[in-house]
Amino acid sequence: MAEALLSGQLLFSTLVIGSVYALVALGLNLVYGTLRLLNVAHGDLVMLGAYGAFWLFTLGGWSPLLALPVLALGGAVFGYLTYRGLFRRMLQGDGAPQRLEANSLLLFFGLSILFQNLAAHYFTVTPRAYQYLDQVWRWGEVAMTANRLLVLVVASGLCLLVVLFLRFQVTGLALQAVIQRREAAQIVGVNVERVQALSFAVGFGSAAVAGGLVSMLEQFSPFSGFPFTIAAFVVVILGGLGNVFAGMVAALLLAMIETYGVALTSPTYRSILLYGTFVLALLLFPRGLLGRRQLR
Amino acid sequence: MITRRTLMRALMAAGLAVSVGSFATAAEPVRIGFAIAKTGPFVIASDPQMKAYELWKEQVNARGGLNVGGTKRMIEFVSYDDQSKPEQAVRLYEKLITSDKVDLLIAPWGTPFHIAIAPVLEKHKFPVVGATAASVRLRELKPGYIWFTTSAIPDKMAAELTKLCVENKVKSVSVINNVLPFTKEFRTFLDPKLKEAGITIKTSAEYPPDVKDMTAMLTQIKQAAPDAVLALSYPGDSALYAKQAKELSVNAPIQFIAIGPTEAFFAQAMGKAANGIITIGHWMPRDEWKGSKAFDAAYRKKYNEAPDYLDSSLAYISLEVLEQAVAKAGLDREKLRATIAADTFDTINGKIKFDGVQNTITPTAFLQFQNGNLQLVWPTGFASAKVQQKKGWD
Repeated sequence: MAEALLSGQLLFSTLVIGSVYALVALGLNLVYGTLRLLNVAHGDLVMLGAYGAFWLFTLGGWSPLLALPVLALGGAVFGYLTYRGLFRRMLQGDGAPQRLEANSLLLFFGLSILFQNLAAHYFTVTPRAYQYLDQVWRWGEVAMTANRLLVLVVASGLCLLVVLFLRFQVTGLALQAVIQRREAAQIVGVNVERVQALSFAVGFGSAAVAGGLVSMLEQFSPFSGFPFTIAAFVVVILGGLGNVFAGMVAALLLAMIETYGVALTSPTYRSILLYGTFVLALLLFPRGLLGRRQLR
Repeated sequence: MITRRTLMRALMAAGLAVSVGSFATAAEPVRIGFAIAKTGPFVIASDPQMKAYELWKEQVNARGGLNVGGTKRMIEFVSYDDQSKPEQAVRLYEKLITSDKVDLLIAPWGTPFHIAIAPVLEKHKFPVVGATAASVRLRELKPGYIWFTTSAIPDKMAAELTKLCVENKVKSVSVINNVLPFTKEFRTFLDPKLKEAGITIKTSAEYPPDVKDMTAMLTQIKQAAPDAVLALSYPGDSALYAKQAKELSVNAPIQFIAIGPTEAFFAQAMGKAANGIITIGHWMPRDEWKGSKAFDAAYRKKYNEAPDYLDSSLAYISLEVLEQAVAKAGLDREKLRATIAADTFDTINGKIKFDGVQNTITPTAFLQFQNGNLQLVWPTGFASAKVQQKKGWD
């Protein structure tokens, strides 16, 4: 077993799973951070992204890699429209954000059911899968299926891009300002409206891309989104709501539990380890693993 | 005063009059009731059965209707959603019998659902040919009003799988299983059988249904290098096993994946790498079984995918049994019961006859992917091809 632990094979799995969790959680975190809206339909956006890639590939003959930018754009436009159509009006008026925070759960829950059932109706519930880049590459002792390597590179690359954007771009800084101090950001002249629309666009777009990536790895159905919602919630809460960078660290931690934790104990302990860590982390670090300091 | 309510009533009455009028000329349709998971966790699993039901109804109606003791009558389904809850299925079958007063009943999806409705059928003396249920617990049911077409009962499968291993000179195995009921039951029968046959279990693990990664388990198996890997999976984790076994080059010559490979997505996900994988199943389209190729073709045409060799065929077989019994006995429930219990039926799976609750003709069998198609490879005499060793994953 010790050999397996040090072999790099588990590390590869950890990084693949972790990068997917990080990308999925990223979008959830941005929307929560800027608007204090908990999007429980987030995993369903991942599911829709997976279908997008599947249909483009099987009907249109598009390479899933080429489909990713299309999914990103489609997701972003959908996010923007959802924001404009559903949420912007509700966010206006006194005390509206606070009121909406509670209502948003119900609203997103409704959206989640809507997405699942629309998908079940139009795409049927048959699980879908396709083959893409499934040759195995060996690098020393580590065997890597090409699509898993691709997922790792694209997902972690996108996460890195978003972090850089938040750190060094004016718009990114404005987004962070809204996450940290909404009113203060408004006072110093941040266009909160635009930032909110942007976070919806990036949030939905990244979920769609994550879906496209996931579709290369596993079969999916209209009900495949929910586990991603759960995973993203765990990641986001572990890292601290609205703390994007810490969320990525938490995603890796979650992935380590899935692989190393399971290797050291037994697969049946997966949930115990996962939620045990979750509860423990909430007790010890109620503001998230890296606290709020990281962002100040 | 015309209120909206009175207007609605008038419209509904008019609608009823029209619909009754249009049927008055032809023979009354036969109303066939069932409840199945249309929402909840089993909706994906129940889909291949639902599709077989719809296909059968369409085919029979296209032939002019169901032969009810000599008279052809169109089929009408009265179906409900059991919400993936057995207790809901109990209520709905009760309702179908007492309040909807359907003419015939067909099976729900899944073992717990069959077991749950059995007492209701017993109480109302209403015969149902079961479809997608497989457990040794079925044998504890009182014989009389329910029968099972499957031969994939875990204790028999454990014995046959062990024989298959012995015949293919397997001396050592690795066994992993999903902790859900069917595979767990399979496992409890499998380990003693393997030991009896002198086969060493080199590694062994259980995993939860929400497993996301099998690297740790499979690395262990790879190091142990057994002659066979027996992965007692559910559909959700069947392709995960295959993909990661491919990545890690788990190259045991015999590789068994319990449930999943018969579903359409598995071949789509694995392509050529699926070749050599052995799985549960006792049906395939073949010339010896009249109608089996036609069923396969009609299913592919209607749904643009292959039928599930396990669940779609089981559902269709149960309908064929019912259809032949109704042709002979009509809708009288006692006559129908006696016919189903005593007769031999011709189905797309060959001849079927019941003894007690079980199908006694169809043997417990296994399928294997060969050149992209599922072939029956076990038992000898029933098989269409010989077991092949799995040669890598390319």
